[in-house]
Amino acid sequence: MTKSVRFDGIGITNGKVSGKIKIFRSYEGKNKGACVGSIEDEKQRLELARKSAIKETKALEEKALKVLGEKEAQIFEIHGMLLEDEDFLDAVYSEIDKGKSAQEAVTLTAKSYGEMLKALDDEYLSARCADINDIASQLIRFLTGDVDENEENDTEPYILVASDLTPSETVKLEASKILGFVTFGGTPSSHTAILARAMGIPALVGTGTIGEIYEGKYALLNAERGELIINPTKEQKSEFEKEQSAYNKIAKEHEMYLRSVMKKPAVTRSGHKIMIYANIGSDSEVASAISNGAEGIGLLRSEFLYLSRDKYPSEEELFSVYRDIAIKMQGKRVIIRTLDIGADKQIPYFSLPKEENPALGYRAIRICLDRQELFKTQLRAILRASAYGRVSVMLPMIISLEEIKEAKKLLDECMTELSTRGEGYDSKIELGIMIETPSSAIMSDTLAREVDFFSVGTNDLTQYTLAVDRQNPKVTHLCESNIEPIMRLIKMASEAIHHQGGWIGVCGEMAADLSLTQKFVDIGVDELSVSVPYLLGVRGKVSECK
Amino acid sequence: MKEFKHIIKDKNGLHARPAGMLASVARTFESEIRVEAKGKEADGKRLLSLMSLGAKCGTELHFKIEGNDEDVAVKALIEHCDTKLNGE
Repeated sequence: MTKSVRFDGIGITNGKVSGKIKIFRSYEGKNKGACVGSIEDEKQRLELARKSAIKETKALEEKALKVLGEKEAQIFEIHGMLLEDEDFLDAVYSEIDKGKSAQEAVTLTAKSYGEMLKALDDEYLSARCADINDIASQLIRFLTGDVDENEENDTEPYILVASDLTPSETVKLEASKILGFVTFGGTPSSHTAILARAMGIPALVGTGTIGEIYEGKYALLNAERGELIINPTKEQKSEFEKEQSAYNKIAKEHEMYLRSVMKKPAVTRSGHKIMIYANIGSDSEVASAISNGAEGIGLLRSEFLYLSRDKYPSEEELFSVYRDIAIKMQGKRVIIRTLDIGADKQIPYFSLPKEENPALGYRAIRICLDRQELFKTQLRAILRASAYGRVSVMLPMIISLEEIKEAKKLLDECMTELSTRGEGYDSKIELGIMIETPSSAIMSDTLAREVDFFSVGTNDLTQYTLAVDRQNPKVTHLCESNIEPIMRLIKMASEAIHHQGGWIGVCGEMAADLSLTQKFVDIGVDELSVSVPYLLGVRGKVSECK
Repeated sequence: MKEFKHIIKDKNGLHARPAGMLASVARTFESEIRVEAKGKEADGKRLLSLMSLGAKCGTELHFKIEGNDEDVAVKALIEHCDTKLNGE
């Protein structure tokens, strides 16, 4: 009886699968023992292989364009350029001149370029070794006339185990055959991990080397626990199956509940439609928002792109994330709240001075209107993303008409700049403001003329209206017993914006409080935006409202 | 000979994609195009050569263009650097 072996790694996606292991071999180790022809023969073989590789790369680029999208497909464009790179070819030729076989020459050259790139001590360029190895393995495949053994016609699905996968290797894999991924190296942001997430299958990275002796062996992949058990014992197997069936049962129950609620439209019994939107704090929540029935993103807390880093994000970085969210939401509204930092949310590189009373200090729109370049970079990114979906801008902490006018002026400037640059954007982009200061609610009739929508931030509105610090446990009970003043302010804002033909939503914590749903419907709230876990509950509650 | 300097603003430096785009623009010209950075020199028409510079965000690229079409080439390259090499 073979011994059971366990490998620990980082689980990327949830789920548990069992099946046979298939070890993916990359080109290294396949190129030994090839016979060497004359120097001219080898050069000619290389040329033929290179032509085939270029042709294949073009085909892969087209496939990737369809399957993975433009960004992934660009990798193959680079591969095409590498295959035509004169320095690379010169180096290969000079190895052949030294009497090496074409395959050896390719391997040696790829290795030396790989080392050179690694020596540059640049994480990004080091990662490009994968591209060089990729074209090297492609060339060697054509040189040896090897049918791609990784493409053989297995009928049985398997757990794919690999050192790491190159982009062109992953695109060639047949998704339906793969139960799960395990890679020796890699991180949660490596290519394989991204692919596993996109495919929604269990994956484990960073397990360390798993020897070829395990090829074809039965194994249990438990992504939750971050472990792979090869040759499991009876006990391990039965425990795994128990966990697996429990997991599947929960997953199934959840799905049934989801389906039953999802079927209910968010319409009150009197036929009033309420939009149910999601509050999200990062792009990774978009998928779960959609699967929980979000009809839009009511609040994208844009701070996440500024946190955990040491310098300001570029317009391109912001844009690419906003764009991807807009695309994923497929024409559903995505409300991006502009940077809301200061007070309790601090970012070191902003070097904001310490304040005695940060809640009433230099924060949110106040910083943005002061540091205009910072604000405009974000606005340009939002505007550019608006060409890819239905994107809206929302300004936090507004207290006056002047602030809106100033922000609109900057927005106009950004539009002009983008037009000059030839970038596309939605010139009729929706603009809204947060109603989170008593002033904005009191002045809502004036402010409503300048914007398309309001969204109530109940947390701040409560703290500013009741003069209650939410962080102070001695006074928080005052919030629960004094809902009425808040509701009156919301009602005031609701009437003001409806008078101008706009709409109003609530995106603060109160929106998820089911005991208030009826009240919100009564005062004319059109949209409730809540965190993903509350989406279905709120939807269910709305359908019960009068 | 024409010359100009450009400071890389892309946080990933002159990585594969921008280097590739730069090389394909450079290749449309007859002139010899050299790029210097951090004391190393690369052929502006070759991808691996450009990548080998290891140019990062903040690195200054010094372009030297020489040949019959250097006037057109320098204009095209400046425009390319300004529009395509200043973001992701």
